Amino acid sequence: MRKFATLALLAVFAMPLTAARAAGNHAGAPAAAQAPVPAGEGDQTLHAMHDEMERARTRLVLAGVGKPFYIEYRLLDLDMRSVTSSFGALVANSTSRTRFMSVDVRVGDYHLDSSNFISEDGFQGFLGSTGEVGIDRDYNSLRQDLWLATDQAYKAAVTQMALKQSFLRSLTKPPEIDDFSQAQPLVKIDPRIDPDWTSRDWSEESREASAILKNFPQLYGTRVNYYLVYATSYRMTSEGTILRSSRHLAAIEAAMDTQAEDGMALHNYYSSYAGQPAGLPDAATVAKGVANAATELMALRSSPLVPDYTGPVLFDAPAAASTLAQVLEPSLSGARPPLSMTRDFDAFLERFGGRSEWSGRVGTRVLPTSVTLVDDPTLQEFHGQPLIGSFDVDDEAVKAQRVSLVESGILKDLLMSRRPGPDFMYSNGHARSALLSDERPLSSNLFFQSTDALKPDDLRKKFLDACRSDGHDWCLEIKRMDNPALGAVRQEDFSQFIGELGGGIANGDRVPLLVYRVYVADGREELARGGILEGLTLRSLRNILAIGDDAAVLSYMQNPADGLAGTAIGAFGLAQGGIPSTVIAPSLVLDDVEIRGFHGEPRRLPLAPAPPLK
Amino acid sequence: MMKRDLRLRAFLTGLALLAGAWVCVAADRPADAPTPAVLTAMQGELSRSMEAMSATDPPAYFISYTVSDRQYTNVSGSNGALLSSTADRARWLEVQSRVGTYQLDDTHKLGDRPPSWTSPGTNVPIDDDIPVLRREIWRETDRQYRAAAQALIKVKTSEQVQVQTAEGAAPDFSREQPHTSVGQPVEIRVDRKPWEERVRRYTAEFSKSPAVLNSIATFTAQATNQYQVNTEGTKLAFGQIHYRLELFVQSKAPDGMDIERYANFDWLDPKDAPDEKAVFDSIHRLIQEAEALDKAPLANPYAGPALLTGRAAAVFFHEVFGHRAEGFRQKDISEGQTFTSKVGEKILPDFISIKDDPTEAALGGQMLLGSYPFDDEGVPAVNVPLVDHGVLKTFLMSRSPLVSIPHSNGHGRRQLGYVPVARQGNLIVSSTQTQPFAEMRQKLIALVKQQGLPYGLLIDDIAGGFTFTGRGQPQAFQVTPLVVYRVFADGRPDELVRGVDIVGTPLVSLTKIVATSDKQEIFNGYCGAESGSVPVSAVAPAILISEMEFAKKETSTDRPPVLPPPGNDPEAKGQKP
Repeated sequence: MRKFATLALLAVFAMPLTAARAAGNHAGAPAAAQAPVPAGEGDQTLHAMHDEMERARTRLVLAGVGKPFYIEYRLLDLDMRSVTSSFGALVANSTSRTRFMSVDVRVGDYHLDSSNFISEDGFQGFLGSTGEVGIDRDYNSLRQDLWLATDQAYKAAVTQMALKQSFLRSLTKPPEIDDFSQAQPLVKIDPRIDPDWTSRDWSEESREASAILKNFPQLYGTRVNYYLVYATSYRMTSEGTILRSSRHLAAIEAAMDTQAEDGMALHNYYSSYAGQPAGLPDAATVAKGVANAATELMALRSSPLVPDYTGPVLFDAPAAASTLAQVLEPSLSGARPPLSMTRDFDAFLERFGGRSEWSGRVGTRVLPTSVTLVDDPTLQEFHGQPLIGSFDVDDEAVKAQRVSLVESGILKDLLMSRRPGPDFMYSNGHARSALLSDERPLSSNLFFQSTDALKPDDLRKKFLDACRSDGHDWCLEIKRMDNPALGAVRQEDFSQFIGELGGGIANGDRVPLLVYRVYVADGREELARGGILEGLTLRSLRNILAIGDDAAVLSYMQNPADGLAGTAIGAFGLAQGGIPSTVIAPSLVLDDVEIRGFHGEPRRLPLAPAPPLK
Repeated sequence: MMKRDLRLRAFLTGLALLAGAWVCVAADRPADAPTPAVLTAMQGELSRSMEAMSATDPPAYFISYTVSDRQYTNVSGSNGALLSSTADRARWLEVQSRVGTYQLDDTHKLGDRPPSWTSPGTNVPIDDDIPVLRREIWRETDRQYRAAAQALIKVKTSEQVQVQTAEGAAPDFSREQPHTSVGQPVEIRVDRKPWEERVRRYTAEFSKSPAVLNSIATFTAQATNQYQVNTEGTKLAFGQIHYRLELFVQSKAPDGMDIERYANFDWLDPKDAPDEKAVFDSIHRLIQEAEALDKAPLANPYAGPALLTGRAAAVFFHEVFGHRAEGFRQKDISEGQTFTSKVGEKILPDFISIKDDPTEAALGGQMLLGSYPFDDEGVPAVNVPLVDHGVLKTFLMSRSPLVSIPHSNGHGRRQLGYVPVARQGNLIVSSTQTQPFAEMRQKLIALVKQQGLPYGLLIDDIAGGFTFTGRGQPQAFQVTPLVVYRVFADGRPDELVRGVDIVGTPLVSLTKIVATSDKQEIFNGYCGAESGSVPVSAVAPAILISEMEFAKKETSTDRPPVLPPPGNDPEAKGQKP
């Protein structure tokens, strides 16, 4: 076993292979014993997990301390291929095979257990309860690793429980919500899928797709990344769950950047996600998409600045979907936040979206009365377009369910994992995690729809009418929002981008990419660059003036990291570590949107002109 | 606190090496072979960049480009199974753009402030596409110039108010002669399959001992072709190959103390890979040591004579002497500057001399890991006599000069992505007053008796330690002896003890060396410090120190596992093969 250093890894996944048949009964009693590995099953990973868990379940106990009431083994078996090109030249090309385990042991009971608690200092074991394990899929080495990891996890739980109990005694009003809800155990063993790297020449495709950018000499830098993953994930619990599911994900993510003549830094991106490698577009199609992004970037480069502005804004469906992903996501979770011993950490969570604004508000109006909001992991496609957020069983082995969050503007439900919250006790199958991180309730395929939707022409007319009645000669239309995680060519660029946004991030500032002035008189459109949407929060959605009858599917990698939730930084990640998700949304007109033009310090232009690319 | 350890980098870092395998150096290129594409791209951008950046304000006065083209193979096993098996190739570009003048530039150290940000570099295409390589170099040069120009403003505004050391008048950068050397590229071809089998076998052997909780065996092989050009006219292309096998085991004493044992093999030529017998001997020794340490009594605090074997002494010199002989520490006010004013003075017994010689590739047939033809600032490696018959002569120098030492002696080194500073290469300690080890042991017992003590300590292995040279830290060093025996005055057999830490004051312990052995031993490892982790060797004879101080090591609070190992559980039923 090798401890994780930093897990630059990935999360995986889309598209489970078979439909589940799990019962959705919320209130099942915990299994009295583990489920046996089905007879005839030759997978030694399952046998090693089973046998070691059985030993721990029946015999792991420290004198004077309780036995574990819950043991959970997770294992991720990954085959990854990653290829990167720049202007037609290969930069990196790697294939790797790795397996990671994570062991969770809890002491206490479902009402009060050793989880949901952030302490200042806990148990520091020397081997740890997570780590890289052997890739041979053999029995003996995995048992050895699980043995030590279980031991460490148990000791960590015992320490954590003692700290938690003493902290709870210091509170005047300890939380009454349970720590862990019960769920029906599930036994479901999908077939394992072997990776196929040879059906297409990925390095050549990546070269070809990026070579077209040689036609854009004003680009400074670019990276076109292909990222393919096959994952088999295992989950076994002392409640009787045995889950083996195969998932795959294929992604193309391209970044490119330049500067405007006045020094403003500009970037653009292209992305394409598919459930499996064969689903990715061919190199010619990618080249076209990448060239299109470069053409947009060149247009931005020579466009005028976005002025300061307050008034109606038309969000085209792709921009609306991105904005909703940022604004809504942090409030969809109904799980209680963890108890924290450190006030600073609490304050941090509060500030950066770690608290769901909708939690505790079920039954109240949260959106315009025509709006319904549904999260549906069970849908595989929308109007023929595959939905990468789909799954049949969530990461806690609970059957995926369609959740109707908002009906006629009224909050009805929240996304739940097995961590209860003030409004709901049981999971509705939305626990998701990246790379064996902790599961949290997250959206899958989020649908925003209205019963009062306008045809495109009517929507535009309503927008221009609002504009006219406000006395504007022109108003702003946003065709696409930025995704800085995808657009930054290098990590430093991303850090600098965050730095320049500053404190506005926490107050709901959002970054559009393609902003147009639309003139009231003749409907003419003019591209502009720069500009930040200021303080666009949940409350802003009460100012929805009109909703279109169109729909765009935004496929993106949900950022699994804590912090900055509800911002472009917090919402969007990369295929290598993100959680596949979609938002399906119509065009929107929002009234009273504030936009701040570019007032920053422009950067100096490069001292030497760029060398020729051909 | 600076952490620098001559480290047995076990598994988390990767280095690698080797294997029985089949490495081959690329065939000689014909004499009229074209310049490598990377070098062509670098030279093209260099002249263009310098033209633009020397004509602006503040002007760049020096630009250098380094591209490291690295092939890297890693095969790792744990507890009898394969952990990973990968082969990668990547090119990494690093740019230095210095603004100001040789005397005062953007790198000028301001008090105890950390150095200004510089870009760690970027990966660039492995395809030989010259225009794309140039585009990447152009971008990185501009980025680095911008960072340097910013840093120079800070230097200029705060320079007046900073406390100056005696070395404050030293220039920030030395002027050096340009060097041109374009050698043959190196290449490795490793068949990973046999190594996959080996690491499984090696770690399965460890698993036979119930004392071994976890074991890792890692084979690494790397070939690095380094290309470097600068505006002074240096143009270099040279390659280095390195193979390594590392063995690492973890155990736990009944009181919870972590026991770790480690061994490594390093070689340059596949034919020099360790054979199975050598590896299995090493495995069995590590197992035996781990098992013995598990049962060994805890050491008590002790002050008295100590005998260090050659390998242990080598680590000791690296930590205690070597780091303090690194030139840049002498001009940094936040450093302890133990030796700054001692050049020309006697700091060691007169029978001891020390040099750092990166030009030596091997010693007695054994590879020296800290060898290189040119340092990471493009200066040829130089054999530097640091201590001559006990007298301190000079320091290890990068291109950050001292008033008294205006030039580099080829010791500017760095891990990819870090700025080079003066580092050790092959630190070699020799003695003119030697004797067989057995006699030194007798001498240890004599000293013990003389001091009226029941026993002395024999230190057989030291793990990389930490050395605190900062002013804020006590002028002490702390290295961790892993294998320590009590050698009794009354003739009882030696007794292994555990939980020993060395404490004390470096200058003092160095002056108390009273005897040295007639056989030098080599320690190859990776040393972490300001400029990252670099391969080094330390070579020393066994040394007898008349008085050393030892403290008790902090023990872990983590108890041994509750259940017995799954493969060795008397109560278990239904074990699978």
